Amino acid sequence: MNKNRSKEYDVIIIGGGATGAGTARDCAMRGLSVLLVERHDFATGATGRNHGLLHSGARYAVTDHESAAECIEENMILRKIANHCIEENNGLFLTLPEDDIAFQSQFVDACTSAGISTEIIDPKLALRMEPSANPNLIGAVKVPDGSVDPFRLTMSNALDAKLHGADILTQHEVIDILKDQDRVNGVELFDHAKKEKVKYYGKIVCNAAGIWGHNIAKFAGVNINMFPAKGSLLIFGHRVNKMVLNRCRKPANADILVPGDTICLIGTTSERIPIEEIDNMYVSKDDVDVLIREGVKLSPSLATTRILRAYAGVRPLVAADNDPSGRSISRGIVLLDHKERDGLEGFITITGGKLMTYRLMAEEATDLICKKLDFDKKCETANIPLPGSEKSDETLNNVSQKVYSGSGITQKSAKDRHGSLAHKIAKGDENEDSMVCECEGVSIGEVKYAINELHVNNLIDLRRRTRVGMGTCQGELCACRAAGLLCESMEEPGKAKDDLANFLQERWKGMSPIAWGETINEIQFTSWIYEGIYGLKPENN
Amino acid sequence: MKFDNIIIGGGLSGLTCGIKLAEQGKKCAIVSSGQSAIHFFSGSFDLLGKVNGEEVANPLESMKTLSETHPYKRVGLDKIERLTNDALHLLVRAGLNFTGQADRNHFTLTPMGIMKPTWLTLSDFTCFDHKDSFPWKKAVILNFSGFLDFHTLFIKDGLKKFDVHAQIKNVSMKQFEAIRRNPSEMRSTNIAKEFDKENAIDEFAKKANVLSDGFDVVILPAVFGLFNKTIADKLKEKIEKPVLLLPAIPPSVPGIRTQITLRERFQELGGTYLLGDNVEGGVFENGRLLEIRTINHGDIKFEADQFILASGSFYSKGIVATHDKLYEPIFGLDIDGDSNREKWFDEKIFNDQAFMHYGVKTDQNFRALMNGEPVENLYVAGSVLGGANPLKEGSGAGISLLTSLHAAEQILK
Repeated sequence: MNKNRSKEYDVIIIGGGATGAGTARDCAMRGLSVLLVERHDFATGATGRNHGLLHSGARYAVTDHESAAECIEENMILRKIANHCIEENNGLFLTLPEDDIAFQSQFVDACTSAGISTEIIDPKLALRMEPSANPNLIGAVKVPDGSVDPFRLTMSNALDAKLHGADILTQHEVIDILKDQDRVNGVELFDHAKKEKVKYYGKIVCNAAGIWGHNIAKFAGVNINMFPAKGSLLIFGHRVNKMVLNRCRKPANADILVPGDTICLIGTTSERIPIEEIDNMYVSKDDVDVLIREGVKLSPSLATTRILRAYAGVRPLVAADNDPSGRSISRGIVLLDHKERDGLEGFITITGGKLMTYRLMAEEATDLICKKLDFDKKCETANIPLPGSEKSDETLNNVSQKVYSGSGITQKSAKDRHGSLAHKIAKGDENEDSMVCECEGVSIGEVKYAINELHVNNLIDLRRRTRVGMGTCQGELCACRAAGLLCESMEEPGKAKDDLANFLQERWKGMSPIAWGETINEIQFTSWIYEGIYGLKPENN
Repeated sequence: MKFDNIIIGGGLSGLTCGIKLAEQGKKCAIVSSGQSAIHFFSGSFDLLGKVNGEEVANPLESMKTLSETHPYKRVGLDKIERLTNDALHLLVRAGLNFTGQADRNHFTLTPMGIMKPTWLTLSDFTCFDHKDSFPWKKAVILNFSGFLDFHTLFIKDGLKKFDVHAQIKNVSMKQFEAIRRNPSEMRSTNIAKEFDKENAIDEFAKKANVLSDGFDVVILPAVFGLFNKTIADKLKEKIEKPVLLLPAIPPSVPGIRTQITLRERFQELGGTYLLGDNVEGGVFENGRLLEIRTINHGDIKFEADQFILASGSFYSKGIVATHDKLYEPIFGLDIDGDSNREKWFDEKIFNDQAFMHYGVKTDQNFRALMNGEPVENLYVAGSVLGGANPLKEGSGAGISLLTSLHAAEQILK
């Protein structure tokens, strides 16, 4: 196909979430010339703002058979292709005294019919398997839930797209969709780094911008009826549970507790919000109180566990075309060919769905793109592992032991985060082993690898690639160390100071709704260091 | 055990108060839970750096504009000037060489290369008279290979505003090989421990002298003299060019040395310093605190005529916040602060945060209030007092030093 980038891409994909990155990978693997554009950074939208739950589908089994079946199928695929992004923890659906135990058999039947394996566990055994669970539980069912790191997953898809020839532009925001009569033929972007406008042309433009796709569609002159639903979550500073904990009842607020890396997450609430608020979401006091109250029911020790952050994501729910009120909302995958729907050629939208089905969404979108380009190549994304997941654990150990002489912590953390790509964190000299972030075991070598190879433009991007500043200190000491390293590579110290101030503000946004206990102490200490001793200000450049 | 005075908190306020009382012959004990704000000491004590965001030239003069609830106003501006002199003399008697004036701020350079107004500066560091000029034209910034807690590019960038040509150079020292091998050990205190041994200073000075050839000033991280009190001076003797030390990421080496020096002064005066102990609570009778108990000492009672609460702010756990309240954790004293947590914060981290103003309520003589009534012999000093945002004002050390001296004077009356 056409690889001449200076003229026209086969497809321009808008949105650096899991769906966009997954679509870019699929298109590039099939041999299309691809441009992926993202206004901020990978996984900054709904992709990076959810539980990180590798759904078995059990949660939807009773209420939404189709979603449940999709989930379990994708669950099994992701275990194969994205092993380094996944923890195979399994999950328990707990019945508490206030829940109806009769629901359990209905739940098990529905799971079985969707292809989800279940095992009813005696409550006493369940407590031995998961000591953090509520000791008053009266029933438990084991399902193949797990945890997935959405940042790593998205980055791996983007990396693989790149390996297959795709071009990627982060910090490029779509400001217009270019049209030639009733045919879309490109995008106009604003380059936030260079502060300039730039145009790119493509045969197909694929709108994979999640809830922000509402506005992208408007640029193209078509209307998609989207209803943003805010979901708030809390991150706890310790990993209290080793299995995913759910409530065995119809899905409700704050009934999933997911362990991941060093932490665990409780969520979510669900609240319709006006579309104008999607870029400025806050977690209210009530949201926090509900999450704690319900979370403690799943695992009583949460009552005394430090909360690190609160955050919210937006589900991109799409109303049926014949229902502008949005009452009959689908949570399933929505793929729109705007030629069929609106008479606009060269433009498609892939939205709805969930993180679990990003690969399937990408496959469906790419199938449509190929069909429109009259190009016949089968999808292989379900069979070929993502970069970082290619090798068995054993080989992986050999690889990283050869490369590192450094400490066990940085070695293990890097391997967990980057899988078989960990060897790229090459040891230049002994200094590269030095720890930047002690909470999360991030070395200089890992930071340098991320800066050089993983599209890192600022400290917030760096956090998503390496977990710098995600631990209990929330960037208290490591932010400045990482800023120093970033500053060396960018050679723009003024910008690096602003970047550091932005990073602290970004951390604060997630801390302020839950800033009591240790968190208020830490933020006071952090302020004294950066503002008091360093003299950092919101604008330094 | 019976003392004249017991001080809860071993930070700057607690130590100042303890030294002052012990110098006057009082039998004192300090109960300290561990580290304090001096462990992230910048090298200077601020009195009043800013009022309403504007830099202050003369702190004594600008204090007149502060609100009536500010600790300085409550001490009384007529007393403040004398107390600032007392504070400086107390530090000097302890063996700490500070310079500065209460009626005229000088400036120090931050590790971001910014001039910041301040009151008293430790002799390790350099005082500047003006914020717009830098006395040298060509500066070499030296850092140790692998040391991540000193940000040379930020300093270089800051110096550009003064038309200073700055160059960054790295120094390798074989003495650091062992600490560098462990990824989290290349930190300021471990480097300082190596430099406490004199031969490392000789070797470093030789290297620094070669590297600073052609420059007017040598800029270094302040990692000299942790337990060795003369090493920072020796460094300056041995390096041929003027030396400008700048703070590194905490813990602060000069801060720990300052803490140790003050503690030793207190102990030399006969004071009892209980380190790593926490006060659990006290027995009150007729509006007086009779005795306290500590975790380490179990049933052993600590009695005193007067007590001073100098337990610090949130990060020192002098005040505790939970999701539904604020409280003073030792005695349950009255708190000056909003109980609704939505009022504690501003969404912008660099704005004035309400919680920074919170503290224990007192009467006009700085006696703690409990259920609205003053405890006759329990005084409050330092950052556990509310009524100011010491970060925004640049008044943290000043409030600690002056309110603790004031409390000591109340007791000595």
